[in-house]
Amino acid sequence: MRGVSALGEVKVRAPGSVARGSVARARALIIHPNERVERKEGKPVDRNYRFVNRVVVSYAGRDIAEFETSTSIGENPSFGFAFRVNEPGTLKVTFFDTHGGRFEGAAEVKLG
Amino acid sequence: MPERSLTRREVLTAVAAAGVVSAWLPRAAVAQGSLANLAPEEPVDKTVQRLFGARPIRDGASIINLDLPLIAEDGGNVAMSVEVKSPMTPQSYVKAIYILSDKNPRPLNAKFILTPGSGQAYVATSLRLADTGDVRAVAEMQDGTLLMVKRTVRVVVAGCAV
Repeated sequence: MRGVSALGEVKVRAPGSVARGSVARARALIIHPNERVERKEGKPVDRNYRFVNRVVVSYAGRDIAEFETSTSIGENPSFGFAFRVNEPGTLKVTFFDTHGGRFEGAAEVKLG
Repeated sequence: MPERSLTRREVLTAVAAAGVVSAWLPRAAVAQGSLANLAPEEPVDKTVQRLFGARPIRDGASIINLDLPLIAEDGGNVAMSVEVKSPMTPQSYVKAIYILSDKNPRPLNAKFILTPGSGQAYVATSLRLADTGDVRAVAEMQDGTLLMVKRTVRVVVAGCAV
């Protein structure tokens, strides 16, 4: 693999062309530690854990799904989901984390 | 446009505004990940009660397909997908899917909010599982009906504190 993946890098994979009116599936991935809660002597350590706590999916300018996520999603979180295609447009996925991070990825979908 | 220097009042107003913004921004952005802002550590029954109160939860086996491995070698990364049979029209759709892991200190892994624009009530991700136990998917329909299924996952190496 070339290059080093950086925190916040987002990849959105979707079919390039979809028949009008059909439903397509896509997957979005972010490079992110999605920190888990540490424990010391059985007790959770209190600090500002950095994890993805919200994901917003939009298609053709409209929000179609929102995920409220936690420390119990794996490192480098990825999400599969579906979206209805009535028109060509941009599938956009925005990840928000607990340190104020906002990371965005997109894929273009055409009718075919 | 003629140039002019800022008045004393303008400078003071700008400085005060900057002070307010810088005092406000870090508070808004920081510490969202502190323990006080996470879901509480609690048994799964408490989480279910916190989320759904006394609302009845029906068996969802006929319309929810929750896919998980029987045995997870690594509890830190367990592939999960769930699909609920639904037309996903404005009249009839799944508005949310909750994933809960019974043995996690904070059982709610995620809440997936969907709309008719989702087309299918399908989501997939990878979970952290603290121990061998049940994983539940609860589907909330547009009319508030709740349906649930469970799958047991045997975890070989735990996802540690999650």
